[in-house]
Amino acid sequence: MEKFIYTLKKLDKRWIYLLIFLSCIIPFWYPDMFPQEFSTSKETQRVYDIIDGLNEGDAIFIDWAFDPTLQAELLPMAEQTVKQALDKKIRVFIYYPLLTGISLGENLLENIKKEPGYENIENGVDYIHLGYLPIGVDMVLFSMYSDFKATFGKEGKIFEGIKTFGDIKYLISYAGSAHPETYISLQPRFGFRMGAGVTAVVGPDMVPFLQTGQLDGMLFGLKGAAEYENLRIKAGAEKKFNQKANAGMASLNLSHIIMFLFIGLGNLVYFYERKYKK
Amino acid sequence: MDTVNFVIDNTILNPAVQRWMSVLFTIMMLSFLYRDNPLYKLGENTFLGISLGFGWVWSWNRIIVPYLFVPLKDSYLDFQPYDLTLVLWVIIGSTMFFRFSRNKGWIANYWFAFVFAYVAGYSIPISVQALFIQGANMMKPLLEYPTFFEISKWFVIIFGTFAGLMYFFFSKPHRGLLGKTARIGILILMINFGASFGATVMGRIALFIGRAQVLADNIVPSIIITLSITIYLFIYFKYIKKEPGLDDELMH
Repeated sequence: MEKFIYTLKKLDKRWIYLLIFLSCIIPFWYPDMFPQEFSTSKETQRVYDIIDGLNEGDAIFIDWAFDPTLQAELLPMAEQTVKQALDKKIRVFIYYPLLTGISLGENLLENIKKEPGYENIENGVDYIHLGYLPIGVDMVLFSMYSDFKATFGKEGKIFEGIKTFGDIKYLISYAGSAHPETYISLQPRFGFRMGAGVTAVVGPDMVPFLQTGQLDGMLFGLKGAAEYENLRIKAGAEKKFNQKANAGMASLNLSHIIMFLFIGLGNLVYFYERKYKK
Repeated sequence: MDTVNFVIDNTILNPAVQRWMSVLFTIMMLSFLYRDNPLYKLGENTFLGISLGFGWVWSWNRIIVPYLFVPLKDSYLDFQPYDLTLVLWVIIGSTMFFRFSRNKGWIANYWFAFVFAYVAGYSIPISVQALFIQGANMMKPLLEYPTFFEISKWFVIIFGTFAGLMYFFFSKPHRGLLGKTARIGILILMINFGASFGATVMGRIALFIGRAQVLADNIVPSIIITLSITIYLFIYFKYIKKEPGLDDELMH
């Protein structure tokens, strides 16, 4: 036992890195070996239901506050929201508070257009990239409540019937920081409904806003994205094009098992040494 | 110009080259997990250089030109009285450059004073308002549906906050009732840190999974580049770099 404990204590951390690396990459090669089922959280379900409950011609506003550094978690969420809205003929306005996120959003829509069923969607009709404005998000919101179209200086059929931000049915903010709190702080003044899609790091900070009803729903990290994909697949979306987050879930599970194992072993070494020293 | 376009199309914009570059830079960055090495430094500096260059060009094209140069040109061609506001803000904004001067640096303070005054005057009331709404909404379920879960939740929130604060109360020795409260406080803090840490790990692994997917999807480039980098690292650490650096000692 003592030899085993000594070996564990002196284990080079690079072996742990290698194991985590393998645990992340192997499930991509052998996906059937790691079956995974998980339930849908009510926060994800609420976002899905709200967008699902909107009527044809309604409009949603996507606040795209992330760039490629966070795309692994947030891009699948944004993709599913956009597709769900396009399926229901809901108009999608995408605003970029981060300059470096614009190309990511533009690429996503170009890739969606290549998928069956979305070939005929048009920029300025079904969706629009509102772009970046060099002012704070709060000022953008005030301006949108004054004149939505003039705020961004864009033209298109998509703006028909949208005079102010009050005509937008739902706002969803995707961010890897406390960025959605800017909108939350302005909710009392304007009274709009909103949801959020956040990285797992930020998720715990946003939970209180769910409890108070300031956020209608929330997508939490890669798991939230995978849950959303499953909801859309259940509703008839083609699995082949809607499983980016699900593809990573087996890796996430396996790597967490490895980490739990090493945390357990670390504790074993700690308590064994404490007892042995006494 | 055609030659330049031809070269760019067949190198940087070629999908096959892009795939290989993606795998190459991923493995170059991951090589740091073994030890700090020149390939990692190359990858890191390339990333920083591209990020800054990209950010600067985009800022120029999407902010400075459309919101400064174009309106200034328009106002020059067809001056209207309200164009003066643009000129005024350009002048006030430009005072920030006085920070480079030791003697005239104070001129920039007026701009900063304006920004701080704006932030304080605008943000504080809005934040307080939102906090009141948050507090009021949290109380609603307790008053409307006083279930066991709601009552216990409030007990945890109120007593947990108090106990957490008591842990940082150092004016009295942590003995007796105060000691026990502080002990509960640190337990609650640890549960909070544990939840945040768990979520952070999940987030970091999710980021890595994005890279792992790239490697898994491009199996041939991944194997070839991994082998090449492994051979390079072996030669580098065996024959070129023999003295461990400060970074190596700190890391391993």
